[in-house]
Amino acid sequence: MLSRVADTIYWLARYMERTNGILQASRTNFIASQDGLQEFGWRPLLVTYTDLSPEEIGEMEFDTSRVLEYLIMDRANGSSAFNYVMQARENARSIQDHITKEVWQCLNDYYHFIRNANIAGELKHGDPVSAIDMIMRQGILYTGTVDNTMTRDEGFTYMNIGKFLERAIQTTDMVSMKLGEFLKDTKNILEGPSMRYLLYTLFGYEIYIKTYKGNFIADNILQLVVYNQHFPHSILYCLERIFKYFERLQADSVAENFDQLNFLIGKTMNNIKYSNVNAKDPEMLSGFLMQTKNEIFEIGSTLSKLYFGNS
Amino acid sequence: MTDNSLLKQYQHQPGVWDEMFSQDGLREHYSNFVSAIEGLPPLEMTHKDETAKKLFMSQGITFTVYNSGEGIEKIFPFDIIPRIITSSEWTQIEAGIKQRLKALNIFLKDIYHSRFIVKDGIIPAHLIYSCPNFLREMVNVEVPYDIYTHVAGVDLIRDNDGQFYVLEDNLRTPSGVSYMLENRSITYRIFPDLLPKNNVRTVKEYPELLFKNLVSVANRQMSNPTVVLLTPGIYNSAYFEHTTLARLMGIELVEGRDLIVDNHIVYMKTTKGLEKVDVIYRRVDDEFIDPLVFRPDSILGVPGIYWAYRKGNVSIVNAMGNGVADDKAIYTYVPDMIKYYLNEEPILKNVPTYDLENIDQRKHVFANMDKMVVKKTNESGGYGMLMGNSATEQQMDEFKKAIEHDPRSFIAQPIISLSSTPCYINGVLQPRRVDLRPYALCGPDGINIVPGGLTRVALKEGSMVVNSSQGGGSKDTWVLA
Repeated sequence: MLSRVADTIYWLARYMERTNGILQASRTNFIASQDGLQEFGWRPLLVTYTDLSPEEIGEMEFDTSRVLEYLIMDRANGSSAFNYVMQARENARSIQDHITKEVWQCLNDYYHFIRNANIAGELKHGDPVSAIDMIMRQGILYTGTVDNTMTRDEGFTYMNIGKFLERAIQTTDMVSMKLGEFLKDTKNILEGPSMRYLLYTLFGYEIYIKTYKGNFIADNILQLVVYNQHFPHSILYCLERIFKYFERLQADSVAENFDQLNFLIGKTMNNIKYSNVNAKDPEMLSGFLMQTKNEIFEIGSTLSKLYFGNS
Repeated sequence: MTDNSLLKQYQHQPGVWDEMFSQDGLREHYSNFVSAIEGLPPLEMTHKDETAKKLFMSQGITFTVYNSGEGIEKIFPFDIIPRIITSSEWTQIEAGIKQRLKALNIFLKDIYHSRFIVKDGIIPAHLIYSCPNFLREMVNVEVPYDIYTHVAGVDLIRDNDGQFYVLEDNLRTPSGVSYMLENRSITYRIFPDLLPKNNVRTVKEYPELLFKNLVSVANRQMSNPTVVLLTPGIYNSAYFEHTTLARLMGIELVEGRDLIVDNHIVYMKTTKGLEKVDVIYRRVDDEFIDPLVFRPDSILGVPGIYWAYRKGNVSIVNAMGNGVADDKAIYTYVPDMIKYYLNEEPILKNVPTYDLENIDQRKHVFANMDKMVVKKTNESGGYGMLMGNSATEQQMDEFKKAIEHDPRSFIAQPIISLSSTPCYINGVLQPRRVDLRPYALCGPDGINIVPGGLTRVALKEGSMVVNSSQGGGSKDTWVLA
């Protein structure tokens, strides 16, 4: 496969995963902010998902409608959901012969959908949750279309590596965002709804309730979002998927490049697997999250160097 | 027969050949199609029209106009009423184009090698050497099987006498073939059963034929040479076509930056290292293809590719330097070429063309400028053109000045009254002018022309300019068996 094509398809998947992340985080934060939470605000999300200065964040953090527009629809914001979808579609356009016609059409539809003035209107003047849900449905359609129509070839593999790498970063970020609350929590029982919203953001609420029967205990939440091997948004799950998908590339790789990256992925995966973080030691938790994120970034940059020919 | 206001309202213009109607009424070969649509309520026709537009949009069969930063998505306008060509008309078109391409291909071989045609005084030498698209770099370059014009799109028009004339031979990188394929696939969705019931010949073997020819011009003696399609990238207006063709042929779509030349061999950069490339179907123009030989500021090409080509290490389709054969001034001599090389009479006529370097002819053109179309010899896409009947005095004076300054760069032709055909516009059938571009493929086994082509329509009322860059659209083209 052409290096440029692999690079493009990998980023296509990352953009789509990130779009999904932004939308879900915005949706959850919107509901949380209307739920009578004390000290509600958009600061943490704006810090995570944008490159705004602290002053700019200060100006808009309590203006829900403006923040939603900025995060989702703003064309001037390079990291808005709109721009990610546009980027993903541009990427798809330049590698159309490596994705199926269905995937291309689906992304093309997604792009035309998010451009539609009605959606922007609904988000701004109507019910933001409905608007976000409608947009997210396009993303679900994309995921299903990829799964149902794409050949399990190199392109599909790069797509999945991109997707799970991005997802691992998102989960790490979301947990880091709530770090402050872990620090504050001395009794190890989180009564506020804040943790519930972390679970919502990571699509993990239902599995948590089923597994832990409704007690929101910080350690349990960490177990789920870091270590659970059946929860598709846990950091370990993502790394295991990356490891699996990367193995498939062995036959299509230069041997030494494969070995180098395989080692990196395996090391990161095992660093997570054989760690033991808990909410009682927030310092260690913070260090662990930082290290994990750096290692994931290193996987990304090594892939880019060895497989996509970027220096 | 139900009362159909759609057809009754249609008025074709006097003095213009209408594809669907003759003086005596509906032409026979349209009768099947017309009887299928005439019972349809107007709402349903409009619905079909809208469906077609939606299909183009959702399939991304669009080109993007970039201004003000954000791209504006446009579809290439499509008219739902097909243009129908009879089997006997097609036989003549096919034979005519084959004959023409055979002669043009020999001409290219001749002009870049022995130049018999110049030595025998058929074509004046200065006309060749003053052509900006004559590439000295191609002199004495051996191309595989002596084929230069692998893909050609010959533009035909029909005058009011019903005769087809050749307007242009596009021998460089003719585009539009993907619209021929897409228009067909839209037609069978909006008019189910009509294609088989009318015995319409299929166009879908085009990609297979092209691929077979590409493989056969590879220099390496192996069963699966690496064939790639070189595109200028996603901002090119024909990008959709490049990706469609690459997908239909199952070949890699590459950009200049994906290729690298080492020791006169072309490689592509893959995740597994470098892979040798044998055949390049390029959609990048000559002047951009190698910055070391042609335009040094080009970033669309591949440095060193010319020498790899010259050494025979890679085949490039179409060959470089074809522009000398489809130059508008050389065009005048194509009938002479046919006689000279093939000893045959041309099957398809040329549009009469005035040589503006000839003082008598120039005088005649200047005196009758309102009946002439003046074109620049090395421009296409409807640019650099003056339609005498709609030009102002000032525009004519400007052209006259430019012609006197550099007569080699212009030609003049009497305005041919392009044939018209009904188009479904704003809920009614209206006559619009059309041309026809069939696509011919030349390979070691001969010339193949897929029965069909792109019918381009001048959608502006009264306009005779069909180019897509000038507000043209297209129609599905049916060739009956």
